[in-house]
Amino acid sequence: MKFPKTTECRHWRFTLVASKSEKLDQEGEEEQELDLEEDTEKPRVVDLIEHNGYFREGGYGLPDSECYALYIALHMLAIKEPISTVRFFGKIFGTKMNYYVAEVDLTIEELDRRIREFELKDMPGEEGLDEDKPPDAGEEQKELGGEETKEEKPKVPVPPKLPPLPKSTWTPPIPIPVERPGQGVNKKVFYVCNQPGEPWVVLPDVTPDQIRVARLTVRCMTGDLDAEVLTFPPFEGTERNYLRAQIARIHASTSISPQGFFTFGSGEEEEDIDLEEGGGDLAFSPNPYYRGHTLKDLLDSNLTYWVHHGRYILKQGRTLWWNPNAGMDEGVEEEEDEGPVPIPPESGPMLFTPLSEDARIEGLPAWSTRISSTLVPERALAVLRSNIWPGAVAYSTSGKKSECLYVGWGLKNQPPNFSPLQLALPQDEYIIGPEVMEMADPTFADEEAYRIAHLPPPPPPELPGEGEGFALEEEEED
Amino acid sequence: MNIHKLWEYKEYVNVNGMMLSSELISLLHNSLTMLQVENHFLHVQYWGQLYALDADYHIAVGINRDALTDRKYYYTTDFKFWGLLPKSKKKYKHLALLTTYPFSGDPSLKIKVLDEALDENNPDRCPVMKEESRLAATISNICDEAGICARGQILKQPDGTIVINPNYYGLTGSEAKLLKSYLHIRTPQHRWNTNLLTRQDYNYSMDFLDSIDQDIPSGCWNLSLEQNGSVVYLKSLYWPGMMYFHKVRTPEAGFLYVGNGRKNLDVPFLL
Repeated sequence: MKFPKTTECRHWRFTLVASKSEKLDQEGEEEQELDLEEDTEKPRVVDLIEHNGYFREGGYGLPDSECYALYIALHMLAIKEPISTVRFFGKIFGTKMNYYVAEVDLTIEELDRRIREFELKDMPGEEGLDEDKPPDAGEEQKELGGEETKEEKPKVPVPPKLPPLPKSTWTPPIPIPVERPGQGVNKKVFYVCNQPGEPWVVLPDVTPDQIRVARLTVRCMTGDLDAEVLTFPPFEGTERNYLRAQIARIHASTSISPQGFFTFGSGEEEEDIDLEEGGGDLAFSPNPYYRGHTLKDLLDSNLTYWVHHGRYILKQGRTLWWNPNAGMDEGVEEEEDEGPVPIPPESGPMLFTPLSEDARIEGLPAWSTRISSTLVPERALAVLRSNIWPGAVAYSTSGKKSECLYVGWGLKNQPPNFSPLQLALPQDEYIIGPEVMEMADPTFADEEAYRIAHLPPPPPPELPGEGEGFALEEEEED
Repeated sequence: MNIHKLWEYKEYVNVNGMMLSSELISLLHNSLTMLQVENHFLHVQYWGQLYALDADYHIAVGINRDALTDRKYYYTTDFKFWGLLPKSKKKYKHLALLTTYPFSGDPSLKIKVLDEALDENNPDRCPVMKEESRLAATISNICDEAGICARGQILKQPDGTIVINPNYYGLTGSEAKLLKSYLHIRTPQHRWNTNLLTRQDYNYSMDFLDSIDQDIPSGCWNLSLEQNGSVVYLKSLYWPGMMYFHKVRTPEAGFLYVGNGRKNLDVPFLL
């Protein structure tokens, strides 16, 4: 029997992980003094097997075989990449292959390096991108055009005189800047693979425009990261970008935990939340003082004891609102007459907003609560199932365990059903005026009335006698 | 899924992250064995779950002599009392597709279907349907469009009765990768010779059902091989939550639906 390629691949991974763990063991024996330091540097892999056990109890989760292979694969990822924590995000089905998604926090050094890279690349570009790029293209065209005309001049004697081509008055909206690595929607880095054991592939950071388009479309993943994405508002990028955008949306709306499970990094900074810079982007960490809630509270259908710990993505496609006028303030001196229209800042629910605030769909609350066991309440745990993103679940025991998981198609439930974005109305070619307006054709009676109204004025009566005679003749004829 | 094999199938079931918990299997096994004994069914299968607001519906099928027509559907919310579902009427099957709001969990609730009568400002003339009828109609819709079996699992005998093959031995690895090897469990809708003659190795007793590769559009069935190619999963994009698994070269196979009972009308956009 021929084994599929993945089996070999997985076998190789197993040996690699085994050798690595052996090495760690040996090091531990040799340098016991350095143990403490090593512990802090060692990447933390969230215990998938334990969490999956709880999910299984609640009626969700992954089969054991898959779960174990994944757990090894997550360790593999932690060994190879500069990572501080790894968590299993979920599984997304595709038409040909499925994706396993790992959610990762980078180490501080790696994050700093990426931020520097990002700033080098994009910060000058923020002004440059929107101003430089279009003129560049324009100049090139002009140059090209200029050369062509120069060459053609001797050949073509007299170019026919044509009216000037109409110019498009449409200007592209100013691109919304991407959130930097480690902030907002790009806070976490996601790695995917098609089979546990295959090499993990990092997904690129998501841009606000990609999120905007992903919200307007529905599409199934294919399982090929380089597959084309053909949607109506054109999507910029391949399936890896689309997958990243969907993961960002799912992550934002289905990351939930019992109230108090997470806490802000340090309580002092809470005042800064409303500040524009870094506001709402506070770091949070597991709360060491979390005591757990009773099952009755967790199962309460009002869901006040569950909170979101995923940041709400604004309409802009960012979690932090970006003021489009902020950049214009500097350039206002040149075009003062226009004056930037003040745009009210978009705001979404705060971090740690209870689920009771979630919007309902067609009378269905956003989350359904179920208890895992009716027979043994001591062992039971609370399971929440999302009705907006079918496949997203979360569990919490009455103790200190809680986790969320997504296994599904990456499709949002939007009743009654999806309707594609309508094409914009075509622009008017001419200014509407009496010359181009359509109107009803005049009828014969109208034309007759017009003719009579515009008859040349009757000649002045010269001789009354002749006129009378003419009239008389007519009467006689009748 | 055959209820007597639920413990063995536990590891294969995976619908949108849903798995059978041990407690659910114990409850189902006990109460459905009772149901089988009381009603003298040849087979009892666990059909699946339909999400409702407060408590979910669990559905079971009892099969007697004829595997296509002699089926009885039961529902429960508490595993103590299994209620017999009425035969689904054509009218309700149509209305069930139009209803978008969730099941409430109360089978006697009367719901109003908001159809075109609402547009004509006659809200009183909207048809009314009991939730029980809606449940029956939804199940029957799903069975018609997404209820499938592997080729050879259901046989037509010379006397015309249709039975579940007791000696079924499974598809081979190469057969399992083809959509043509899976058949709809419903009264055939295509002509009998179309179903028969599109195969080289046709067999009168197996190929009387419609195969799923003729469904429109061609990508609406998603076939995936997992666990190193030993288990085949089939999912329908039209009915998210439906799953069929088959372990290659063994008689192990089963159908399960876990979902909100709504047809996904966005399939043309998804592909």
